Amino acid sequence: MTDKVDVKQGTLALMILTTLQGLGPLHGYGIARRIEETSRHRLKLNYGTLYPALLKLEQEGFITAEWSQSENNRRAKFYALSAAGRKRLAHEEREWRRNADLIAAFLTPQRETP
Amino acid sequence: MSYLRAGFARLAGLFARQRSDDDLREELQSHVEMETAENIRRGLAPDEARRQALLASGGLTQAAEAVRDRRGIPWIESAIADLRYAARALRHNPVFTTVVVITLALGIGANTAIFSVVRGVLLKPLPNRDGDRLLYLRQSMDGPGGENVSFSVPEVHDLRAAAPALGGIAEYSAWTVTLQGDHDATRMNVGLVTGNYFDVMGLSPVVGRLTRPTDDGPGVPPVMVLTHDFWMRRFGGDFRIVGTTVRLDEGTIATVIGVLQPAPFFPDHIDALMNMVISPHHLSAQMVQGRTHRMTEIVARVAPGATVEQARAQVAAGYERMRSDHPDAYDAGSHYRISVIPFKTALGDRARTTLWLLMAVAVFVMIISAANVANLTLMRGVRRERELVVRAALGAGVLRLRRLLLAENVLLTFVGAVLGVVLAVGGVRLLVALAARYSPRANEIRLDPVTLSFALALSAAVALLLSFIGTLPREGTLGTWISAAAGRLSGGLRKQRLQRALVVAQVAVSVVLLAGAGLLTRTMIRLADVSTGLKTEEVLAIDVQLLSFAKLSSNGNILPDDAAAKANYERMRQEIAALPGVVDVGLGSTMPLTVALGQLEVKAEGRVPAVGEAMPRADFRTADPNYFHAAGIPLLTGHPFSITDRMGSGRVVIINRTLADRLFPGEDAVGRRVAWTGDVLRFTPFSGDWRTVVGVVGNTQDGGLDAPPRPAMYMPFAGELALGGSVVVRADSDVSGVVAASTRIVQRIAPTTPIDHILTIAQIKDESVAPRRLNAALVSSFGLLAVLIAAVGIAGVLAFSVSARTNEIGIRMSLGADRGQVLRMILREGGVLLLVGLGLGLGGAFVGTGVIRGLLFGVSPRDPMTLLGVALMMAVIGIVACWIPAARAARVDPLVAMRAT
Repeated sequence: MTDKVDVKQGTLALMILTTLQGLGPLHGYGIARRIEETSRHRLKLNYGTLYPALLKLEQEGFITAEWSQSENNRRAKFYALSAAGRKRLAHEEREWRRNADLIAAFLTPQRETP
Repeated sequence: MSYLRAGFARLAGLFARQRSDDDLREELQSHVEMETAENIRRGLAPDEARRQALLASGGLTQAAEAVRDRRGIPWIESAIADLRYAARALRHNPVFTTVVVITLALGIGANTAIFSVVRGVLLKPLPNRDGDRLLYLRQSMDGPGGENVSFSVPEVHDLRAAAPALGGIAEYSAWTVTLQGDHDATRMNVGLVTGNYFDVMGLSPVVGRLTRPTDDGPGVPPVMVLTHDFWMRRFGGDFRIVGTTVRLDEGTIATVIGVLQPAPFFPDHIDALMNMVISPHHLSAQMVQGRTHRMTEIVARVAPGATVEQARAQVAAGYERMRSDHPDAYDAGSHYRISVIPFKTALGDRARTTLWLLMAVAVFVMIISAANVANLTLMRGVRRERELVVRAALGAGVLRLRRLLLAENVLLTFVGAVLGVVLAVGGVRLLVALAARYSPRANEIRLDPVTLSFALALSAAVALLLSFIGTLPREGTLGTWISAAAGRLSGGLRKQRLQRALVVAQVAVSVVLLAGAGLLTRTMIRLADVSTGLKTEEVLAIDVQLLSFAKLSSNGNILPDDAAAKANYERMRQEIAALPGVVDVGLGSTMPLTVALGQLEVKAEGRVPAVGEAMPRADFRTADPNYFHAAGIPLLTGHPFSITDRMGSGRVVIINRTLADRLFPGEDAVGRRVAWTGDVLRFTPFSGDWRTVVGVVGNTQDGGLDAPPRPAMYMPFAGELALGGSVVVRADSDVSGVVAASTRIVQRIAPTTPIDHILTIAQIKDESVAPRRLNAALVSSFGLLAVLIAAVGIAGVLAFSVSARTNEIGIRMSLGADRGQVLRMILREGGVLLLVGLGLGLGGAFVGTGVIRGLLFGVSPRDPMTLLGVALMMAVIGIVACWIPAARAARVDPLVAMRAT
């Protein structure tokens, strides 16, 4: 349990958007499961973290929500990526990679010096 | 962008509460079910599967709360909840709420109304372009009527040359014309102006054009620019009036060329502005070259780049030169002087003291009401301490409690402010009537965003004050507070001290207000005692000017017109005299108790004024043989005019007592000879020949009841031109009974001449003291209001103290204290507050009333009688206020009181 970490709001948004891009429209439960699986269960999402994040993305217009039937005929609210969300995700990804490169460049040579 | 969008979504979330709550619950529920189903598939028992799912959720309620916080805007929602709670709490406490709201409404209403007036009349920028660069120049000298002697055309020329810092000097001269309608005639007050006037004044037309320099001089058509006010009043704001012609006196025609934007004028109220050509006199050599022929007002604009100080210095230097170049035009003894005043200041001159007084009074009332409300809040705070303690025990922090109190106070003051503004709307209407007597800017007074923000700021300040006056414990000490409060609840020493200080302040401020009210009221009483100088008040005066200004100023022979006018006056006199109830009718230039048409220098035969002594001056008036008897002016010595005193006969005059004392101190004036003199005489139709004094009459209060008597010289009505023109009617009993009949006679004889005034002596008197009476009434009602609020304050605080001490009183009584002792104890408690407040208040009044010296008449600002009376009144009201709770304390039943612990 100790290696399970809480996610930060900003990163969680990115994870949600990536999940929706990969899997298409999905309900809250599916998103949570997918994120936990992708993190190889290092991440744990409780509702109080997930649903406000979904609401925020919806308010910002990056995702849309719609009630519909799930695969096993259960009524569930499905979230889907909007055009703005797609653009946002591409932008965030670029930013992330650039930052990661930058940090990596700083961290890598240090290990070589001794 | 997305922030904005989210913001709107959240704002919308405030209102779509119910629907989305259901939605959320369903969504979370479906999540739990899906997870449960998954757990079952993994092999768990259904109950355990559900338990695990719920466990993993991290709490449904918490999740819902987290979403909810994200959805709306939490602090707004809690503020709304606070307000809703506050409204409920206040509804449950109707007496407290009503008293507080009314007190605040009175305070805020009075302040808002009076601030609107102060702002409209004194503070608001002028409507004129660059209004703060406009200057008004005033020439003054000593003696009655000397505050503003205006300028002559040569003086204006000299000033133009002397003061380059004045970019433009415009001339304005008051004049009257008669506007001939189809069926009636209207007297119009007009300003004759130079073509640069509007440019200097910085005013634009609403429609049409204004006069310009090409309208100056002779040989141009007369044109008229209507003031906005007159245009609305007389022509109903009809644009088509522009370009039409109007018929004036003697068949003159003038073209209306435009309508001026609304703007204040000074020193006169005017209906229209015209070019000088309408008055041949204004273009005559007499006017243009006579240095002492002063009938022009000056408005000037500071030149670009120059300062008011430069202008002032240049004007002063130029004026000094004028005085040394023309010593005969500036009689040294009269101390001629010039002042350069910002136009806005000049406009506010007469209103300033009164308005600031009223503003100060309103602020005092606000202080008293705020103190009272603070007191009530403190008392209520003590009563509800238990409630606050319970809230604290249930987990509300100090901030939360503070917010709750703030919500209540905001609600209270807001309701008070709204009511106050409603009161202010009425108050402003009332005050505009008052302000119109003092200021040409009265029509600019209104409740606008600025004054409404003033009301809002005032109420916000009160709300904050109230929320922080009630003591709440510091953050972190709530626990101690809760445990301490579990026992007895009392106000605490600090709170009681604060309450007492507030009561003392209320009493003190009330005393100051009452002192002001008392002084103004005594002024009114003194004024009512002033004798008008007339023997009776059953006198009616009809001002009707048969020989118009236009005729008088035309250069032709006006003797035939004058004779015709006099014949008509005589007809009026005889016909009115024949009315039943009329005792006598007289004719004269000016009605009694009003300022004469003008004054001139006068000399007495065989008397040389000392060096440096001001030249004696006297008002010129005319009177027929019946005038003095009809007006009730007592003849002190000599005899009245006789019907043989006509044009060209031996010159005789009657002078009043003031002039007699001035020219012939300690001697009999009858039989002595006097004459008009001075440079100005050549601009008048009067001769400078010696005239024999045939009688001396008593003084009349021509400058108003509060002004010193003015020297006057009466010439025979038939012996001079019919200047002015007043029919004075004396009745045997009620003079108002002959008004209608007299008016009909005058209108029948002179159908095309407007009646300027028709007033009884009582009305003239009343008119002259009306502004002061209104002042006194306003300040007195504020004073009484203050005392009332203060009395409620004292009674309230004592009553509270009594109820907090019921137990103690019970013990005292059971130990043998009788009712009298208890009564005295409580009275003493209140009496100390009252005494301290009285002392402070009297001290304040002693220091402060000096500022209203200018509004007083016949009473010193530190009048001991008034201060004593005020102190007595406050003491009596205060003692009554103390008595009520004291008597209640004395009725305490010791048994009940001790059991009630």
